[in-house]
Amino acid sequence: MRIDLQLRLFAFVLLSYGSSPLADENNLPIPADEFVYCTVCHGVQLMGNSIIEAPRLSEMEIWYVERQMQAYKNGWRGAHEADVNGLEMQPMAAYLSDAQIAEVAEYVNATRSELPPQTIAGDAAKGAALYGSCAACHGAEAEGDQALGAPALRGLDDWYLVTQLENFRDGVRGGNSADTRGVQMAAATVLSDGEAIHDVVKYITNLPTN
Amino acid sequence: MQDTGPVAMLDLQTVSSTNKKVAVLGAGIAGLTVAYELERAGYDVTVIEASKRIGGRTLTLRHGDVVDEMGYNRVCNFDDDPEMYFNAGPARLPGHHRRAMHYCKTLQVPLRIKANFSRSAYTHEEQHFGGKPVRIGRYVADARGFLSELLYKAVDKNAFDQPLSEEDKERMLKFATTYGDLHPNGIYKGTIRAGYRSGGFLKPAEHYAIMDFSALLKSRFWEQASVSSENQDWSEPLMDAIGGMDNIVKGFVRNIDSPILTNAQVQSIHNREDGIDIVYNYNGKREKISADWCFNSIPSHFMVAIPNNFAADYAAGLAALRHQNFFKIGLQMKERFWEREGIYGGITRTTQKINQIWYPSHGIHGKKGVVLGAYTFDPRVSTMFERMTPEKRISYAAACGDKIHPGYSSYIEAGVSIPWGRMNHMMGCGSHLSPQDHERYFKRLQNPEGRHYMIGDQISYHSSWQEGAFASAENALLDFDLRVRADSAVSGMG
Repeated sequence: MRIDLQLRLFAFVLLSYGSSPLADENNLPIPADEFVYCTVCHGVQLMGNSIIEAPRLSEMEIWYVERQMQAYKNGWRGAHEADVNGLEMQPMAAYLSDAQIAEVAEYVNATRSELPPQTIAGDAAKGAALYGSCAACHGAEAEGDQALGAPALRGLDDWYLVTQLENFRDGVRGGNSADTRGVQMAAATVLSDGEAIHDVVKYITNLPTN
Repeated sequence: MQDTGPVAMLDLQTVSSTNKKVAVLGAGIAGLTVAYELERAGYDVTVIEASKRIGGRTLTLRHGDVVDEMGYNRVCNFDDDPEMYFNAGPARLPGHHRRAMHYCKTLQVPLRIKANFSRSAYTHEEQHFGGKPVRIGRYVADARGFLSELLYKAVDKNAFDQPLSEEDKERMLKFATTYGDLHPNGIYKGTIRAGYRSGGFLKPAEHYAIMDFSALLKSRFWEQASVSSENQDWSEPLMDAIGGMDNIVKGFVRNIDSPILTNAQVQSIHNREDGIDIVYNYNGKREKISADWCFNSIPSHFMVAIPNNFAADYAAGLAALRHQNFFKIGLQMKERFWEREGIYGGITRTTQKINQIWYPSHGIHGKKGVVLGAYTFDPRVSTMFERMTPEKRISYAAACGDKIHPGYSSYIEAGVSIPWGRMNHMMGCGSHLSPQDHERYFKRLQNPEGRHYMIGDQISYHSSWQEGAFASAENALLDFDLRVRADSAVSGMG
């Protein structure tokens, strides 16, 4: 009886105080002083903070981060009054030089964190059919294609993907003609109802990872 | 634990030779209190603070201080003068905040009386009284007069559910007459309590004509200001720390020898069976403290993005806490024009987005002064200010001030704005739980998770007050002490 209790306690301790966290590994990047700001909202290793609504950025492509930071800096993104989170992000890019933007993109790309939890409901099977047109640019496994200017979608928070698809649909993002890639995406956003958006995002976040 | 009234001194068990390493996360009021107390009990304490300054939201801005707002890092441009400062966070202390009083006394932080309410300040409503400011004293006197007249008439007409005895009627009429300064026949015709329109010293005093009762009823002053000074936290007399509220922080720092690391950012928190590991970035390196105990005041909304191994219900409780985004503006005025209007301290209330104007209680009749030019609690209004550039916020507040004080904007020499929802390493203030979540999680969060204690004003019924932070630290330390005593009793028996 006594042994059994000890065993159960041991098992409990193993379960509750187990895993070695990814963020502790010494080879992971430490942000330069001027980029600690990024981690305040986007979290340790830019793992994302759903409460602040700052999405996961870990491992994001250098070229895509640069382009988005330029979009914020130039007011192509984060200028529409309905873009609540974009408006919060915009001043963070506005004061960075091109060289700093290049540096921060390198940093973002080097960060690592676990894939984000699934937080939305949706029908992945229905989403699979809808994803066909997305795959043309973003790839069959949502791995992205730099040549087409289409970022990877895997690894992004589901709630963030939903918000961005809604923003493209509603003209909140991709409405500035100088933002050619954004305009392209807005034109390609044919999903109109919320259910379809949730279904396709569910499909994307359930794609296998390498 | 006694929650109100006299504070029982913490009587922490002095540490044994083992289990003595403590990590304190965050160097605000709660973290500093824990560090101060545990250092005295013999613990090996390290304070880890993410920002570059100590103090958390206890922030006093002076000449040359950095305003570390996300995207708008800038410097306070007040004169280099110790009297020119602005309490951007907590700014007042009521005497019933007994823990705050205890620490101010113990740390020898001098306090003084600060006027929070003034009958000479204004209530200003864009839609009423012709959009002109009205002295609060005049408003209050007329409002009481009208109410008292109604009460008088009700007594006269026996309009109560229970019949009043003749004696009680007499007493009630006398009460109404005195409370509202009514004429002997129970009619309110104005009172000198509303202020002197003329005379009163060498010539007979003349009082103001009474205001329109329906205008009084329509105004918003009822909701907001007429009873604000009757809420105990805002009731006279209030106090503040002479020279700035951050003198409380300095008092702690003077009395703490343990290392307080700044610019040190926590990366993970992991409970072990017999301790707790804290990984943090410091000086470009990843460091780890294997501590015996951890006291954590990191804003709860960051905890979802700091890897940890907390139990699901505890993590859910932390994630359920929501934060607000109070916003303040401080303006250095080149002349103390409000004194020429007979205003010394206190608060003007307005329906404009700036909400309040505070007049300084210190530096009376000096050349200059720092006025609070905006203090907003409404999240939508704060967000409106957040989206403006710092320069635009000041000009917006200046234009609002012009509607209350003629020439207000022409006196502004320098200004700072502090949007707490956009401050580095804060991104919010005023934590709260929905009623359902409060029921579900609050007690859980007041109690430890393994070797980890969550502290800060966020773990109290008094968020946004330093007393809430002090109380959370006391609550955690008392629980901690029970555990330490129980452990030492067991090992003593061994």
